Amino acid sequence: MSSIIDKIFANATKFIAIGVLLLVAWIFSVLFEHSLKSIEAFGFSFLTETKWAPNLEKFGALPAIYGSVVSTFLAMILAVPIAIGIAIFLSEIAHAKIKTPVGVSIELLAAIPSVVYGMWGLFYFVPIIRDMFGGIGISMLTAGIVLSIMILPFMAAVTRDAMNTTPDILKESAYALGGTKWDVIKDIIIPYAKAGIIGSFILALGRAIGETMAVTFVMGNVHKISTDLTQPATSIPVTLANEFAEADSELYFSSLFELSLLLLVISFTIISIAKFYFLRRKRTGQ
Amino acid sequence: MATIVDITEEQALKVKNFEFTYAGSDEPNIKKLTMPIAKHSITALIGPSGCGKTTLLRSFNRMHDLYPANRYSGEIIFKDRNILTKNEDLIKLRTQIGMIFQKPTAFPMSIFDNVAYGLRLQGVKNKTELQGRVKKALQDAAIWQEVKDRLGHDANGLSGGQQQRLCIARAIAVEPEVLLFDEPTSALDPISTAGIEELIVGLKERVSIIIVTHNMQQAARVSDYTGFMYLGELVELGPTEELFVTPKERLTEEYITGKFG
Amino acid sequence: MTYTQKRVIANSIVMALSTLSALIGIGFLLWILSILIINGVDALSMTIFLEEGAPPGNESGGLKHALIGQLMLVGYASAFGVPLGIMAGTYLSEYGLKSKLSETIRDISDIMMSAPSIVIGAFVYAIVVAPSGQFSGWAGSIALMIIMLPIILRTTDDMLQLVPSTLREAAFALGTPKYKVITQVVYRGAKAGILTGVMLGVARVAGETAPLLFTSFNDNFLNTDMSQPMASLTVTMYNYATSPYEDWQKLGWAAAFILSMFILTLNILGRLFLLKRKGK
Repeated sequence: MSSIIDKIFANATKFIAIGVLLLVAWIFSVLFEHSLKSIEAFGFSFLTETKWAPNLEKFGALPAIYGSVVSTFLAMILAVPIAIGIAIFLSEIAHAKIKTPVGVSIELLAAIPSVVYGMWGLFYFVPIIRDMFGGIGISMLTAGIVLSIMILPFMAAVTRDAMNTTPDILKESAYALGGTKWDVIKDIIIPYAKAGIIGSFILALGRAIGETMAVTFVMGNVHKISTDLTQPATSIPVTLANEFAEADSELYFSSLFELSLLLLVISFTIISIAKFYFLRRKRTGQ
Repeated sequence: MATIVDITEEQALKVKNFEFTYAGSDEPNIKKLTMPIAKHSITALIGPSGCGKTTLLRSFNRMHDLYPANRYSGEIIFKDRNILTKNEDLIKLRTQIGMIFQKPTAFPMSIFDNVAYGLRLQGVKNKTELQGRVKKALQDAAIWQEVKDRLGHDANGLSGGQQQRLCIARAIAVEPEVLLFDEPTSALDPISTAGIEELIVGLKERVSIIIVTHNMQQAARVSDYTGFMYLGELVELGPTEELFVTPKERLTEEYITGKFG
Repeated sequence: MTYTQKRVIANSIVMALSTLSALIGIGFLLWILSILIINGVDALSMTIFLEEGAPPGNESGGLKHALIGQLMLVGYASAFGVPLGIMAGTYLSEYGLKSKLSETIRDISDIMMSAPSIVIGAFVYAIVVAPSGQFSGWAGSIALMIIMLPIILRTTDDMLQLVPSTLREAAFALGTPKYKVITQVVYRGAKAGILTGVMLGVARVAGETAPLLFTSFNDNFLNTDMSQPMASLTVTMYNYATSPYEDWQKLGWAAAFILSMFILTLNILGRLFLLKRKGK
């Protein structure tokens, strides 16, 4: 009797586990299927056209792509140095008593829902940008800054984890030759943990590019390409968040699905690069 | 009371009433220890796990300072000064007292850069000088022939025994007066171990050496003086052959004959 | 100035900058937490919990509809997502082990954990909302469940692997069938860890807004019919906070406060659980 239950249990778990894989494949295929109309209508120009005009049934995704790229780039420039600083502080400077509360605080920051970051950005940051640069305060710049604060905790935590993989006696060997903390960090820790550190940055980039709510509050959803960062803009997730519920034609929907597929493919690719090239799981058999 | 043989030769270091307590502990790990270390000799520290021998070794180059909240008191006299004071220049101290660790610790850089690291830290920039000193260090560590054609290669490509010689070359490149060895062959095979032991014996002409080892036979083979520690105290210190053949303390005899590990 | 003196100065500068960065990080945390608490507590009142949403300008609006909606959406998502995730994680740890298939499932799950959640919303729109012709609570729950699945799967997998193999072997040696070894011995050993994984998975999903925007959509009134659009705390926050109405904005902050406290509590509890287990 129990061998039958054994078989059922084993097969059930296998079935569900494989189901997860199939689900992901299904997601890609459904998105692709629903993008077909837009792909057929616009082809490659979908990615290069700048005009996004639902009422004219013309959909060019370049402004959204541009916005995604620029806001993420901005966010990374701001977040990377601060994340490295926090990681250095947590792994090499802080005393044990400070290390844990600060480390946990940083990790809790990462748990705060992005919609809360968006609200904070809207009510507290937008006025600051407005005062400093004029305009309405809702802009690419605001989005980049709010995004950088959103990815900061994650980046700091994983960078710290990467740095902590450096064996103690390796560090001690450098101190034993008369090295300072900074010597040890730049000559030993960073080269040793290089792959993990870069992988962490790329992983954070992959997450940042899909970030929706924090950015939706403060970016605007204006399909325009501008070099003026204090102007409102849009990104792929922001477009989807604002327009999906209001799309009214098949082509409109199809274009939105094509954007979704594009976003999924881009972030999947970036995260995979981080994971498979830089963050190889070390099987040390502990 | 400990039996300490008087060291009539010049002393490289003298430990005076040194007490050490690890952070978060109430009991001292090392209890009011006094001990001379002879110059141009090899002093081995032996004893069971937890006796404090590694703790003592790491005090000589103030390694413990890397982990704040440890407490210590007493004196360690080196070159006519107490190196345990707050104003001791740790960077300078560590160029005078070097350390080799229980696992080979090749830095993630080329063989040349590894050996040159300590020199570059001191500001040696002249290429010719660096090349000369690196070569001499690698020769003194008996590894020059093996690596002279691949100095630019990553040090991690070397075998364990070779890497440990590299670490020794790296340490002697800065010409220290004292070298501390923390169980340097515990991760190596017997052949590499023999090579390192030979190397260490050869070095004592120029450096005073303190070696911690849990391998009594190694201590007997290599050292001039042996100090036996137990539960944070120095039980006996004397010329190696005397200590092993005619130990003066009962505890020493029991440890040497294997009555406890 | 000697080279060493230069090094020491460079060291001091870097240490100062790093400490400054940490202060900036903590500063933001404190800033966000403080405005959450200040605005949220100010807006809290019993009406929040007793009243449904009301048109703007009507001071008697509350969040009851959003709270109940959120509970239902997350509840149903967990009711399916947690057991499915645990089962899938069990396969990986107990049957598949390090096989190519298992490693692939682990890798894909890892990637999905960092993938954009709004795309899941689009997917569920296509397979549930479009065919059924309407937004619904079911669509929202399904979207949340899909997001939750990889998280529960990976944490279950990791936690089960931590159970020492000697425990399994001892049970097998007594003639115990495998499914009993897993359910009666291994699960028990990994109980705290799996529970933590569930808590963290629920916390993550409870904070999601984007996938609900066009699946469960929203409702300003109490609705417990899962086949209809359903209010959620997160989407309500989004709508209220971006509206021009002050009373709605106030409710938005109350919602933000309640949600954040819930999520932070789950996270902290999860950690304490894990610490307690490590202490054993």
